[in-house]
Amino acid sequence: MRETTDHPGPGAPRTVSRRRLVEAAAAAALVLAGSVVAVARTTGYPLRPGLKLAVLAPWQFVVVERAARRIVAPDREGDASIPSPDDLDLAAFVDQWTAHLPRSVRRDLGRFLAYVEHVAPVRAGFMARFTRLDAERQDRVLASIEGSSSDLLRAGFDGLRALVFLGYYRDPRTWGIVGYDGPLVGRPPSGWQ
Amino acid sequence: MSGIIARGAQIEGDLDLDVDAVVIGTGAGGSVALRELARAGLNVVGLEQGAWSRSSDFDQREDRMLRLLFEDAGGRATEDMAIRVLQGRGLGGSTVHNTNLCKRTPDAILDLWASKYGVADATPRDLLGRFEAIERDLSVSEIPAPMRNANNDLLRQGCEALGWKAGPLRHNRVGCVGSGFCELGCAYDAKQNALKVMVPQAVSAGASVYTEVEAVRVLHDGARVRGVRGVVRDGEGRPRASVDIRARVVVLAASAVGSAALARKSDLPDPHGQLGRGLRLHPGAVVAGRFDREVGGWHGIPQSYECTEHLSHEEGSDKRVWIVPAFAHPIGAAAALPGFGAAHMTSMRAYPNLAVLTAMVHDETSGEVTVGGDGRPVIRYEMAPGDRKQLAKGLAACARILLAAGSREVTIPAVPPKRITSIAALEALDFSFVRPHAVPLTAVHPMGTMRMGENAKTSVVRSTGEHHQVRGLFVADGSLFPTSIGGPPQISIYAFALHLAPHAVERARG
Repeated sequence: MRETTDHPGPGAPRTVSRRRLVEAAAAAALVLAGSVVAVARTTGYPLRPGLKLAVLAPWQFVVVERAARRIVAPDREGDASIPSPDDLDLAAFVDQWTAHLPRSVRRDLGRFLAYVEHVAPVRAGFMARFTRLDAERQDRVLASIEGSSSDLLRAGFDGLRALVFLGYYRDPRTWGIVGYDGPLVGRPPSGWQ
Repeated sequence: MSGIIARGAQIEGDLDLDVDAVVIGTGAGGSVALRELARAGLNVVGLEQGAWSRSSDFDQREDRMLRLLFEDAGGRATEDMAIRVLQGRGLGGSTVHNTNLCKRTPDAILDLWASKYGVADATPRDLLGRFEAIERDLSVSEIPAPMRNANNDLLRQGCEALGWKAGPLRHNRVGCVGSGFCELGCAYDAKQNALKVMVPQAVSAGASVYTEVEAVRVLHDGARVRGVRGVVRDGEGRPRASVDIRARVVVLAASAVGSAALARKSDLPDPHGQLGRGLRLHPGAVVAGRFDREVGGWHGIPQSYECTEHLSHEEGSDKRVWIVPAFAHPIGAAAALPGFGAAHMTSMRAYPNLAVLTAMVHDETSGEVTVGGDGRPVIRYEMAPGDRKQLAKGLAACARILLAAGSREVTIPAVPPKRITSIAALEALDFSFVRPHAVPLTAVHPMGTMRMGENAKTSVVRSTGEHHQVRGLFVADGSLFPTSIGGPPQISIYAFALHLAPHAVERARG
């Protein structure tokens, strides 16, 4: 049997030509599939009227919004003293914050959000986008990333978590939850809460 | 004649200057170099990439101060994202956000640098006067016991119960009100740092400083430095004006990350492949202890007490962990606590009752700073097995201290988190899980990417701080250190900048 090498010898061109044909067909199929995924990936994410994004694409914004609802999910259902991330417009804050990050970091965040939305649910056993899963399934998807054997995925999740916590606990309306009395500078006479 | 501080927005058109010396970076090292060059009567300019902030700008809000005072808004990390690297940005550099700890370079470290790394004229005796002078300038004193907050006092109680070596720290604060927001800049101007002390003294002596100016290239011909090229950027980060400064002396003081990255971008001669190598970080991880009573760790001076039971600066020591408190405000605390969702919020409710310690490794790992395709620094650091063991030992020691101080439950924020409620459980815990990515790591002390020494094959600059190949190019920041120093580096950086400044002065005078 003739061994396959990276540098085929004389007599190889015909074989290579056939292989290239197969590769070209496979590449075309991948491009087509990729285009379908790309269109599907970036459509169907309506934003509220009037919302203008700084750097996030609409689909990225919605993924951040839905992930945030789970990452800072309340520990006391129905407790009106716990603001939701939507109350704080958290995803819009993340969009503004991200605009000031280096381009390479923004690119990595975009890739990770694509993973959360399209790949992680499949790996967790669900045949739907992250944003279309119910809360319990979304939690299972996020937990699967958090406990992933991939250092890179865990680091990505930690980065997303950090952004969400930044957007949540920056707001004085959340400080009462954790018993934090807030900055002395600018503190209202009646306190921050 | 007094100099000026000009913000980037005040620079009209391109800036084209002929001066004696340029200093890049205005933190501990740069501010001293700037002052000493100005005091010698030289025409010197300082360039600072970040903004010029006043105490009135420090509003104690984490989100705003992260963006104002830290590189990449606090998001800088190693290339593999395993270690968050917090570095200052702005006039005064990291001295604006640091927690004001003042320790001299240990004698054992200075002796090691002399004996093994060929550093000349920097023995403990050579530097004694420099340390004393810097400590006078910065009004260094021991932090009084009454100013010790509850988190620090729990560290003391735990160490006393265990009979471990520990003690109070020294700081450079005057008029401290104990607000506890030191890491977000001092709104009360109590920090005696580069921003408040050194830069104003430099300007009084005639130095001019331009902020929001990024040095993009050190100009040289391979044998002599010629000056610096920079850009003034607008609010969106786009170049707005160019900066060209011709000088006989250029001092790099932009941190062990920034200086090495700029040096690499400038194509400096590096015949022995030393530039950017030898990076040390003092990587650390935290352990949180929950107490029945309220601790309120965010009130008062964040770090006033240390545990040195597991720290020796002797070469080859198996004790390479420094333990200090590490309490954070809510955003930082949320990121440090493990998990997400309802369980995480429940953990956050214990915030007032938490005490937090960090184990920082006096590291032997040798990392590297390079430059990415986008021109930004890339930090490579793969923690060596010996340092991982030290980290594990440090986390176990932190847990033991907290339990000895009466903590009901101690949490090591791994995934899944390790929760420990007794010494027996701690002793039964297998710490082999401790490694980068498995526990959140933070580093605040980059060092050692342009090491000093007399041997050009093993170092980048001479013991005078001058580059081995490029005459007139000096380094005056933590890049100089041949090894980790195993403690807060600001006094060492200030003192070495003072120690080496006469050589830069002599060169600038031609």
